[in-house]
Amino acid sequence: MKIVGVCACTVGIAHTYIAQEKLEKAAEKAGYDIHLETQGTIGTQNELTPEDIADADIAILAIDVKIKGMDRFDKITKMTVPTDIAIKSPNKLMEKAAQVIKQRQNA
Amino acid sequence: MKSAFKNLRLKNHLLTAISYLIPVVCGAGFMIAIGMAFGGSSSADLTKSFSFWDALSTMGGAGLGVLPMIISTGIAFSIADKPGIAPGLVIGLAAQQIGAGFIGGLIGGFMAGWLVLAILKYVKLPTWANGLMPMLIVPFLASFIGCLIMIYIIGGPIGWLTTWLTHYLGTLNNSSKVFYGLMIGVLASVDYGGPINKTVFAFVLTMQASGVNEPITALILVNMATPLGFTAAYFIGKLFRKNIYNKVEVETIKTAFPMGIFEIVEGVLPIVLNDIVRCVVATGIGGAVGGAISMYFSANSKVPFGGLLAIPTMTKPMGFIIGLVANILVTGTALALLKKPVPVDEKEEEEDTSNEAELNMDDIQIS
Repeated sequence: MKIVGVCACTVGIAHTYIAQEKLEKAAEKAGYDIHLETQGTIGTQNELTPEDIADADIAILAIDVKIKGMDRFDKITKMTVPTDIAIKSPNKLMEKAAQVIKQRQNA
Repeated sequence: MKSAFKNLRLKNHLLTAISYLIPVVCGAGFMIAIGMAFGGSSSADLTKSFSFWDALSTMGGAGLGVLPMIISTGIAFSIADKPGIAPGLVIGLAAQQIGAGFIGGLIGGFMAGWLVLAILKYVKLPTWANGLMPMLIVPFLASFIGCLIMIYIIGGPIGWLTTWLTHYLGTLNNSSKVFYGLMIGVLASVDYGGPINKTVFAFVLTMQASGVNEPITALILVNMATPLGFTAAYFIGKLFRKNIYNKVEVETIKTAFPMGIFEIVEGVLPIVLNDIVRCVVATGIGGAVGGAISMYFSANSKVPFGGLLAIPTMTKPMGFIIGLVANILVTGTALALLKKPVPVDEKEEEEDTSNEAELNMDDIQIS
């Protein structure tokens, strides 16, 4: 399973990167591929390419604020959560993502 | 009804605007704080003679003066994307002109964003006139209608409300001041620069824009004391021969401390997340003490941001320093007492995922 996503919090110096780290760890543990872009106050880092997004099964958007390039994710399934959920329950979020993908595939 | 309210995503738009506001507050805030610390005046006429410190203070003050426009533009942009920017700016200016200040900017931003969305949805033009839509119809109609509403309908009442609030806060007796300080302290300290802290920030910034400096001073104090308290806890723990941080956390303290001096709380987050409940309890108690003391002594920073640099702008800096020391000691002692001891060379624990918080489906949006 391949996951892409964006992390962005209000101040853009801490929650953004902690959410990124937690999600990456959780994905690694579950054996998923993950690529997360961060949109902090310093700007966009680890930017997603259109190919990354086209190949992905789901996008996890851990965002408290409006992000740049939301339209990039128009064509794929999106899960949008506040950053603190990604920080508190990253593993449960991975389970949920897998469940959503399964449902979509069966539908 | 509840979902209709949720669909407005008020909080999301406000937080987006605050994310644009904060760098302005920091940049301009540091300038005015440094300038005023060296005796500069924030209302110098830069076309006439002025000192270097006057220039710094005045430019900082000018930057802070446009905050109602920034918040309005940010909200409008969050709601309506690029077409929201122009009307958001103009309506924010209208709010400022009519004396509706920060609250006016806030309401004006929502108005601007929704007006743009409504115009894009309901105004239908023949094909030949499509080019007029982005250049003329949207910016003109949204700014025009928004400014009319701001100036002739809501601006006046918001101005009165602000004046009343300023007057009310100015006449508070000591016990109510302590109560407000306590509330600000607790709310500002329990989520380490997260959404609650920023909402309180928006509120106290509004107060300051209306000339009431004490609430924001309490917030500055708590935002400094929280990370400094974490640092103090390390040493207080040592006094009890108790080691409360692991190696990684000690490294974190080394960066959190200088950030705390300049009022950036977020440095301690990695430590907090390892042990949320104990940390929140400790900083909440400390924040309550610090906020209450600051308000009791009416410590009054003239700048909205700056940490240590805010102190020289106060007419009652002693109250601030007493509150700061008290807050640091209380937070530090509480942490040192509450936190479990860890061996000095403990390896990073394998994270336990079994007791992770359940997901609340209200927080997750799937599309």
